[in-house]
Amino acid sequence: MPPLPAAAAAISIAARTVDAVKVYGRGDTAVRALDGITADFTAHQFTAIMGASGSGKSTLLHCLAGLDRLTAGQTFIGGYELGQLNDRQLTLLRREKVGFIFQSLNLVPTLNALDNILLPLTIAGRKPDPGVVDGVVQITGIGDRLRHRPSELSGGQQQRVAAARALVSRPEIIFADEPTGNLDSKASGELLGFLRKAVDDLGQTIVMVTHDAFAASHTDRVVFLADGRAVQEMRSPTTDSVLAVVRHLGE
Amino acid sequence: MFKVSLRSLLSHKLRLVLTAISIILGVTFVSGTLVLTDTIRNTFEGVLSNVDKGVAVQVKGPAPATAAGRLSGASLPLPESVLAQVRKVSGVADAVGTVERSGVSLLSNGQVVGGTDQRTLLGLNWVSDPQLTTFELTSGTAPRTADDVVINARTATDGHLVVGQQIQVSFEASAAQTFVISGIATFGGQNSIASEGFALFTLPTAESLLEANSTFDVIDVSAQSGVTDLQLRDRVAAALSGSSVQVQTGAQAASQTEQNAVTEINLFIGTPLLVFAFIAVFVGSFLIANTFSILVAQRTQELALLRALGATRGQVFTEVITEATLTGIFASVVGFLVGIVVADGLIHIFSSSAKLSVQLNALIVSLLVGTIITVIAAVAPARRATRIAPVAALRQAEPEIQGLPRTRIGAGLVLFLGGTAGLLQSLFTASAAAGPNLEVLGLSVLAIFLGTALLAPILVRPVATVLGWPARLRGAPGRLAGENARRNPRRTALTSAALMIGLALVTAVAVITASLEASINQSIDGTVRAQLVVLDEGSGGFSPEVATTLRQDPKLADISEIRGTDVLVGDIATGVTGFDTGNIGRVLTFSMTAGSAASIATTTNTTIVDSTEAASENIHVGGTVTMTFANGDKVNMSVGGIYTPDALISGFLVSLDTLNPHLTTARDADIALNPAPGVSLPTAQASLLNDLRAYPQLSGLTRTQYKNLISAGLNTFLNLIYVLLGLAIFIAVVGIVNTLALSVLERTRELGLLRAVGMTRGQTREMVAWESVIIALLGAVLGLAVGSGLGIALVSALHSDGISQTAVPGNNLILYAVAAGLFGIVAAIFPAIRASRVDILRAVTTE
Ligand SMILES: Nc1ncnc2c1ncn2[C@@H]1O[C@H](COP(=O)(O)OP(=O)(O)O)[C@@H](O)[C@H]1O
Ligand SMILES: [Mg+2]
Repeated sequence: MPPLPAAAAAISIAARTVDAVKVYGRGDTAVRALDGITADFTAHQFTAIMGASGSGKSTLLHCLAGLDRLTAGQTFIGGYELGQLNDRQLTLLRREKVGFIFQSLNLVPTLNALDNILLPLTIAGRKPDPGVVDGVVQITGIGDRLRHRPSELSGGQQQRVAAARALVSRPEIIFADEPTGNLDSKASGELLGFLRKAVDDLGQTIVMVTHDAFAASHTDRVVFLADGRAVQEMRSPTTDSVLAVVRHLGE
Repeated sequence: MFKVSLRSLLSHKLRLVLTAISIILGVTFVSGTLVLTDTIRNTFEGVLSNVDKGVAVQVKGPAPATAAGRLSGASLPLPESVLAQVRKVSGVADAVGTVERSGVSLLSNGQVVGGTDQRTLLGLNWVSDPQLTTFELTSGTAPRTADDVVINARTATDGHLVVGQQIQVSFEASAAQTFVISGIATFGGQNSIASEGFALFTLPTAESLLEANSTFDVIDVSAQSGVTDLQLRDRVAAALSGSSVQVQTGAQAASQTEQNAVTEINLFIGTPLLVFAFIAVFVGSFLIANTFSILVAQRTQELALLRALGATRGQVFTEVITEATLTGIFASVVGFLVGIVVADGLIHIFSSSAKLSVQLNALIVSLLVGTIITVIAAVAPARRATRIAPVAALRQAEPEIQGLPRTRIGAGLVLFLGGTAGLLQSLFTASAAAGPNLEVLGLSVLAIFLGTALLAPILVRPVATVLGWPARLRGAPGRLAGENARRNPRRTALTSAALMIGLALVTAVAVITASLEASINQSIDGTVRAQLVVLDEGSGGFSPEVATTLRQDPKLADISEIRGTDVLVGDIATGVTGFDTGNIGRVLTFSMTAGSAASIATTTNTTIVDSTEAASENIHVGGTVTMTFANGDKVNMSVGGIYTPDALISGFLVSLDTLNPHLTTARDADIALNPAPGVSLPTAQASLLNDLRAYPQLSGLTRTQYKNLISAGLNTFLNLIYVLLGLAIFIAVVGIVNTLALSVLERTRELGLLRAVGMTRGQTREMVAWESVIIALLGAVLGLAVGSGLGIALVSALHSDGISQTAVPGNNLILYAVAAGLFGIVAAIFPAIRASRVDILRAVTTE
């Protein structure tokens, strides 16, 4: 692997955007999905991104995670400015520094749960550290399902496998886009508990998009978006306090 | 939404083209073959309609006594006196005799014009009566003096020969004589006679050069006005009654010639090409079946929705079959048109003067073949579509991981075992004379292929695991490729099976040629004692004067002429070979199972026969067989011995003294010889080659060179098979491209996910390439196994006919497997690029 470009800055900031602008389409049909967002995501913290549908949450997450590129502005992960990286370097960055949990269809159907969990390591050609793997499997509580294929797992189990996969390579930051979106409240609770534990016990950094106030209440900090801008922030959120802001923003 | 439809439309177009390509290629082969044979036939018919113009009656000699069950047409020579008799018949305007013998070579600067492997020309006498000749001069004059020759236009152009030029002419390797080209001619407007060249001489020259000995091969008769062809035929027949000559009207003669020509065209060009065309279409049908299966799987939700909205199973079935029918018709029409273009190109290569003949028949056959095959191949997927439950519409569409229904395995076993039984039955119970029943043989092989294709899914898992093992060493891409190949065993198996067919046939032919080569080599090392052999690489026999020349060379010894002819033994048409038995032990050795080989040397009218023939004709030492020769001679031969046949020596063997009295013309097929005592092989060969300088048609070879010549010939044959099966293999490779492209389309999300979690584009391409290689290698494994089995079965069936060695050419098989792997990589290029370009965001966002 060629060396990534030299680090720029940042110590306890795991990811950052500066004046991030993302425009889809052009001319009359152009949509400014991100309209100059500047935000920091502190290391070892669980951050939620909230906002109305279409406010740019997913777009922000994708650009932060190196899945998409900004129209203007900058994003950083662990000191690397993503705009400076080519496709291969971005891919290697995703592999080494970033974990993902998507809303659904997170898993490779041909691989069993364990192989799915180990996938980033396999792709990178790295030997899994048995201790780390056991730890992750322990927390997710899917130890008895490791040999099952995704089609034999419930939605909640699938999301926990996805979470375990995101964790197992010990990335600098994990991005989750509505990971509980397709789950019932019990499964949601379990997954959120697991993510919370990953931050508290393993010191993981997690950024999660959600539109669910209950989900947001599990985080350390909530960033509210509206029309592609960061409009408000809240620390130590509770379901009620989040709902209050959401209601206020909706007006 | 528009973007989505457009994208789907584009992928549909690609899908249509990929699906159609296999059928287009197969139908192209079919239509090209039909147009080609129609054109050849038409050209020939056009020529013949010229031929019979002025000929009212044609007289030919009696059919040879040995003609039973053979292509008719050949006849024995007519004595000159017949011509005089015919001329006296009332109503005859003119009658001319013609000598026509093939075996004429043109030599220039001691070389054969056109090379040693060039077909010889047909030699004839020039007929000046314009009513009774089809030859027309295009330049120069008719042959007038004894050393004038007129040659056909194509030979003249190809050999850069011009009027007035001197040229050497030799008939069946007799001593060359110098001629002057007096003119250049066409035959009914064609520059050759059905691509055979010709040389025309004055009658006396033709008589002596072509060794006609005051005989004719044909007498053409024209009628006085007022006399019909039929009347004249009856009068001529009456005048010649008592002799067994054949008398026909010109029209009858022409139609017989035409029929023979058509039979020959079909036998040597039409049928073999159609067999290979059929193989290509058959392979294409696998591709069709696979594509429609994948389409049905991908459209599960859509079809389920239709069902949920009240569509009946019948309607769903009709939907899929209609799509197949339209694809089939479209592909057949395109294939038909491309076939015409290909045939046109081929015809221009071989003869520029032929006019393309496109018959309605060719269109109908092409349309039927292409459409029916497509529809049949789509039936199974269509039936699967009808079984989609309406609730499937509500489920998340997951790329399915399939199991294998038992009925399928059962059907596969039945076909495979039934095919194997049919194959063995047709091979091993075949009578020596008739040979195996080709229809049963072909159908059995077909059943074996279908059975293997149905059973192949069982093998996908283990084989993909084994073949995937080296891929795994390459990390995640190889690992995932193995899983992908296994996730849908039917799809992988069907794709592999298409490649299997081409490779199996190539392998079978390779096994057969290798076994043949090994058997011949064994024969050369075992049976043949002579260290040198003289033969004509181009065509059949050569004049005995060659042997006479060699006998005068003190450096050579044991000059042994070998000549053969057709005979009837009882009423079975077979051949008999005669050779100089004086040198028998130094030229040939036999392993006798009964009697002695020396018996034919010591007693005339004695024969030895191979053990297989002896067994099938119930012949024993001390018994008698009756041989009927072409000229009608019936000879009782006593059986002096029975020997074990090998690849070169089999059948009835007699001494030359026994054979010669019954031959119309003595022609040697080979001469076997040795260096004179005390002369080294190189010295002897140098001397031999010096003697043969006067006969450039002939080669003088050592045993090693003879072996090399045979393996070169077998290799040429193998290469021809590669070319003919190339299309079937190409179609199979297109099939891999198609399957992978559709799979990539189906797995867009998954590919995006892999890219998101860190798979590079290179790794993605590598993953698709490995899957492709696994599919191709599975095809290779199946093909090599089935092909070796077929080849070994065929060779075993020939054991008793002297093909004693079974050789599996390991190098070739390794080569095929490597080639298959490379095909896999090539097939993966396009799908791999597509896979590496999937839009990650589209993959990970839920629509
Ligand atoms: N690929 C795209 N092309 C055009 N517009 C897009 C695309 N993706 C998102 N958008 C638009 O950008 C805005 C933000 O979308 P998104 O980030 O998905 O919002 P959220 O996740 O907050 O619902 C929306 O108006 C959406 O319509
Ligand atoms: Mg979103």
